[in-house]
Amino acid sequence: MAYSDKVVDHFNNPRNMGSFKKDEEGVGTGMVGAPECGDVMKLQIKVQNDTIVDAKFKTFGCGSAIASSSLATEWLKGKTIEEAQKIKNTDIVQELNLPPVKIHCSVLAEDAIKAALADYQKKADGTLTNAK
Amino acid sequence: MDHHTHSTAGPRELQMARSMCWHCQSEVAGEYFCDRCVKVQPVSKELDYFTCLGFPRRLTIDQRQLEAKFYDLSRAFHPDFYQNKSAAEQTISLGNSAMLNTAYRTLRDPIERAEYLLDLEAGSVKEIRNSPPAELFEEILELQDTLNEYRAAGRAPEAESPLRAKLQSERNILEQRQRDMETTLQRLFVQWDALQDRGEATDQARIERDRILKQIRENLSNRTYVKNIVSDLVSTIG
Repeated sequence: MAYSDKVVDHFNNPRNMGSFKKDEEGVGTGMVGAPECGDVMKLQIKVQNDTIVDAKFKTFGCGSAIASSSLATEWLKGKTIEEAQKIKNTDIVQELNLPPVKIHCSVLAEDAIKAALADYQKKADGTLTNAK
Repeated sequence: MDHHTHSTAGPRELQMARSMCWHCQSEVAGEYFCDRCVKVQPVSKELDYFTCLGFPRRLTIDQRQLEAKFYDLSRAFHPDFYQNKSAAEQTISLGNSAMLNTAYRTLRDPIERAEYLLDLEAGSVKEIRNSPPAELFEEILELQDTLNEYRAAGRAPEAESPLRAKLQSERNILEQRQRDMETTLQRLFVQWDALQDRGEATDQARIERDRILKQIRENLSNRTYVKNIVSDLVSTIG
């Protein structure tokens, strides 16, 4: 099975690979895994004034998992928290032309986004910094 | 989580006794062949793989018994023996053979067997939600960074060898961990089987059941993560 050009492109030139310090202010970390295939994904967002100003990821997995998380970070940048909530795995499937057997990679990416947002929210609620 | 009650005693017998021979309409009491007209009977798609091969839902299975049963049924269903039979029988023979092969492949491997049993007992894998092992994930991702560094240093032996030593020692540690998880799984398998053998319907038994399934799930998942990074290590450092 061949990967789509977009997957290959993200795989060869992953965007926003890396990580932030977990305890840095405004950083939300999502760490998820797919027990079925053993893929591991870490996705982080940096939020200022309710807007995601930066995003990073690290993924251990197949090309589609890497491409899905790379694309997710690209999309997250510049979005508000509310907009980010709306990213769906089906958007990723469509953009990357993922075949049915690789749909779980996009699900993993969506889970990672959700986990990062939840982590950010939890931290923000806890500290009450980060006005609005 | 909802509790499915799976009776362990002879669901096959019940199911088979109630079914009718597709050919002569008499009651089928035998395993896969009609007693009266000796026609092969289709294996129901609803039949689970344990029942299909005539084993109870246990995680410890005698490999030799399993293999013997598989060969028996393989011969019984083999399409070669149905070439001169009716189209209906040929179709059944093909369907049964395919089902049998899948059932055997799944049950022969202890890990796949356990994954399959979890599916049967707890619905999909997702039904048993356990929090992702964050520490293990961090470790895996860090190790992957080191692997990338090592790959990048490919042509510079002086940078390569300390990294190689580090990766080698990580590999040993992870392989040990994988073995430890497999030992834990073995123990859980025995616990599961013992619980099934007791067949109690108390609250305590249910709690015990859920505990065992959850721990099996956790260990299976973590083992997959570890196994993946180990095979990546092996293919990189050889």
